[in-house]
Amino acid sequence: MSNMTLGKYIPLDSIIHKMDPRAKIIAMLLLVTAIFFPSGWLGYGIIGCCIIFTVFLAKLNLKFVLKSMKPMITMMFFLFIINVLVIKSGDVLFTIFNLSVYSDAVFQTLYIIVRLILMIMITTTLTATTKPLDLTLGIEDLLIPLKRFKVPAHEIAMLISIALRFIPDLIDETQRIMKAQASRGVDIQEGKFKEKIMAILSLIVPLFVSALQRAEDLANAMEARGFVPGAKRTRYKVLKMKYYDYILITSSIFLVLLMWFISRFYA
Amino acid sequence: MAIEFKNVSHTYSEGTPFKYTALSNVSLNIKQGKITAIIGETGSGKSTLVQHLNALLLPNSGEILINDKIIKGGEKPKNLKELRRNVGLVFQFPEYQLFEETILKDVSFGPKNFEMDNIEERAKQALKMVGLDETFFERSPLELSGGQKRRVAIAGILAMDPSVIVLDEPTAGLDPEGAKSMMSLFKKLNTEYDKTIIIVTHDMEHVLSYCDEVVVMSKGIIRLTCDVDSFFKDGNLCRSLGILPPNIVLLKEMLISKGFKLSDTLNINDLCDEIGRQVKSYE
Repeated sequence: MSNMTLGKYIPLDSIIHKMDPRAKIIAMLLLVTAIFFPSGWLGYGIIGCCIIFTVFLAKLNLKFVLKSMKPMITMMFFLFIINVLVIKSGDVLFTIFNLSVYSDAVFQTLYIIVRLILMIMITTTLTATTKPLDLTLGIEDLLIPLKRFKVPAHEIAMLISIALRFIPDLIDETQRIMKAQASRGVDIQEGKFKEKIMAILSLIVPLFVSALQRAEDLANAMEARGFVPGAKRTRYKVLKMKYYDYILITSSIFLVLLMWFISRFYA
Repeated sequence: MAIEFKNVSHTYSEGTPFKYTALSNVSLNIKQGKITAIIGETGSGKSTLVQHLNALLLPNSGEILINDKIIKGGEKPKNLKELRRNVGLVFQFPEYQLFEETILKDVSFGPKNFEMDNIEERAKQALKMVGLDETFFERSPLELSGGQKRRVAIAGILAMDPSVIVLDEPTAGLDPEGAKSMMSLFKKLNTEYDKTIIIVTHDMEHVLSYCDEVVVMSKGIIRLTCDVDSFFKDGNLCRSLGILPPNIVLLKEMLISKGFKLSDTLNINDLCDEIGRQVKSYE
């Protein structure tokens, strides 16, 4: 789990790292929208190139970004199986055990997988180049217009930042408990089904206990420092958009329009 | 049971920007039937070292010999169960690993995993060894005090009947009285049950009073290995390694600088006798 790359911040010095988190979040939302246009291989190719270019600009290792796909492999496999069972159009490619695999099923799955890969690449780039705290600052700022509709923007941002802040702690904790139980002979990989359930139980119960304990400690610490939800606050860090942030947003809008155009007239 | 490290290195997150070398070229011999203290500042590689003892971490290079089991760097060893049973590792704050409904069940968890016989007998005996009697057996481990929880967790390892017990800062967070009785327990396990004991600690008083051997680590290398008596012979060796000597050593230094002639003893009673004799002869 220590080499889990999903959602990890990589401290590097690049233009993407310097960008305003708000601009990056908007750009991410726009790019994800762009991916959902059915623009065919041409469209995905263009988006893919743009994303790889961004990864390159962020000085990230492409291998690192691709590594974050690992947890998705099983999901992709299930997607494939479900699609093969459900979609019955196009040409029959081959038949196993009276089950015909149609060309559309394969293409559909490939489409979904490519979309997923592109989306994970975008979000990984965002989280790898933005500190979690900046990310929540950005989210909070973007939610401010929604305050009119009584959306508690600051509280939401606070929730997110606390949740993000505890992820590495919980990962460490999980690893520690896993090791402690491994010392008591737990083997998660091997063993019978019943033993596996027991192994997972021996991990989850202590994890819950310590997570609740941490939550209580944090709540007490916040109260001791006089935290009042909804109180007016000033900020240490004030976000400011620069010219490159506008370039990022403009090019993302352009990409969305391009995808719309391609899906409309070419695909 | 011989434990030997030969040029062992361990690097975390090899090949990523978070690469960190925790052990570099460590060679070490741990004596059977002794209590060995591993000391060193935070981040010196103590915890990494002890996790190699039951193959939770594997060396990147080098070789570890534990009894007749050889673990070579870069190889994935098979059949670790016997090793894990034989080398009981108690982590820092082990009370966080308790999960069963009753204390007896939790202590039985280890022996059950290793498919041992007389599980309940072993669990009961282990609980008695750590000083918890029958009234505790059916209680929930989560309702105990911190010190009692830790005893249950240690009993969970003892029930596996390991010949080597490794403890990572077993007295952290305990009050002085609790820490003392914990250390006495380890001494008892060593003398009465003939267990080899390895303790990671920061407390020099504990090292002096309970341990036989010292391993000093710093920045992933071993600075020194020697026996406790020569380690604390005078304060200079400690100081040269950046460690504050225990109080009795400081006291002896002060007395010697005032003109007392003292032997090498570090036993408080012997020292009192010597001082008394010299004061009397002076009068």
